[in-house]
Amino acid sequence: MNDDATVHDRELQEVAQRLGARAAERLDLERTAQAVVARLRAEPRRRAWAWAGLGPTWLRIAAALVIVAGAGAIARTWWHGPAPVAGVVVPLGEDLSGLTASELRDAIGALDRPLEDETGSGVDVGLEGLGPDDLRALLRSLEG
Amino acid sequence: MTPAEPVAAVPTDAALIAAWEGGDEQAAAELVRRHARALARFLGGTGAPDMDVDDLVQETFIRAFRAVAKFRGQCRFRTWLMTIGGNVLRDAQRRWRRSRLVPLGDDVRAADGDPHEHAVAGEAEARLAAGLERLPPMQRDVFLLRAQQGLEYNEIAAALGTTPGAARVHYHHAVKRLKEHMK
Repeated sequence: MNDDATVHDRELQEVAQRLGARAAERLDLERTAQAVVARLRAEPRRRAWAWAGLGPTWLRIAAALVIVAGAGAIARTWWHGPAPVAGVVVPLGEDLSGLTASELRDAIGALDRPLEDETGSGVDVGLEGLGPDDLRALLRSLEG
Repeated sequence: MTPAEPVAAVPTDAALIAAWEGGDEQAAAELVRRHARALARFLGGTGAPDMDVDDLVQETFIRAFRAVAKFRGQCRFRTWLMTIGGNVLRDAQRRWRRSRLVPLGDDVRAADGDPHEHAVAGEAEARLAAGLERLPPMQRDVFLLRAQQGLEYNEIAAALGTTPGAARVHYHHAVKRLKEHMK
C-alpha cells in the first residue's frame, strides 16, 4: 500500500497501527461473540413486547400525539387545500451533474482552500488528476 | 504415497452471512470472532476509550446483523463493519457529551510493561489520536482504513460511498494535517 509513502508517512502508519491495539488484545472474543448472540436473541422479543402495547406509558402517549397531529394536518389540508410553497430548496448536490471538471475544481477550491496548497506537497494529490466523478464525490463530501 | 487429507473448508464471510440470515446463530458468533479485533483497533483509532471498546464492538455487530440485508458485497464485510462502527462511535460520543460523562484518561487506565517505553510510545499515539479527533470524519475514516487497516482506495471508496480519487485526496489531506499536528 505504500505507493505514496515516504519515511515520515511510514512512521505515521506505524503509530496508526498501534492505536487501539491494547483494546483489541484485551477483547475476549468468545465472551463478545456470545454477548452479541444473546442480544440478537433478546431484541426481537423486546420489540414484539413493545408493539403489543406493553411499552412505557410515555411512548404510548407520544404515539397518540403523533397520530392526532397527523390527522389534524390531513384534515386542514382537506379543508383549505395545500399550503403555498414559500421557496424551493435545491440541495447543492443536485446541481453537480451539470458542472464541468474545471467548474468543479473551482467549487472545491472555494470550499476548502488548503487543497490548493497541497498540490505542491504531493504530485498525486492535485485536483488536476481527478476526473469529474472524483471531483463531484469530493465536493459532496466536503459539503457534508 | 497416501492421499492428502482433505482440507476443511473455511466458510467465507458471505456463506456465514447467508447462514445467519437463515437463522444460524453460530454463524453470527463466528463472524464476531473473525472481525471483532480488527474492529476494536479501528474504534480505538477513531477515539473510542479502551474501556468502552467492548460495548461499541457489540453494538456495531448488533446494528450490522440487523441491517445485513442492506449489505450487497460492495466492499468486504469487515470494511462495512468499520463504517458502521464509526457511526456507532459518533452516536456514543454525542450521548457522552449530553450526559457530560468524561471517559477515563490514559493515565488512569491499566498499563503493563516498562513505564518509560509506554510513555514514549504512548506520547506519539496520544498526539496522533488528538490529531485524528480534529479531522473531519471522512478524512479520519479514510486515513485509518488506509494507514491502519491497509485497505486499497477502491475498497475504501466503496465502503464510504465515494470515488477512489476522492478517497486518495482525503487521505493525503489527512496525512498533511496529521504531520503538522505531530511536529
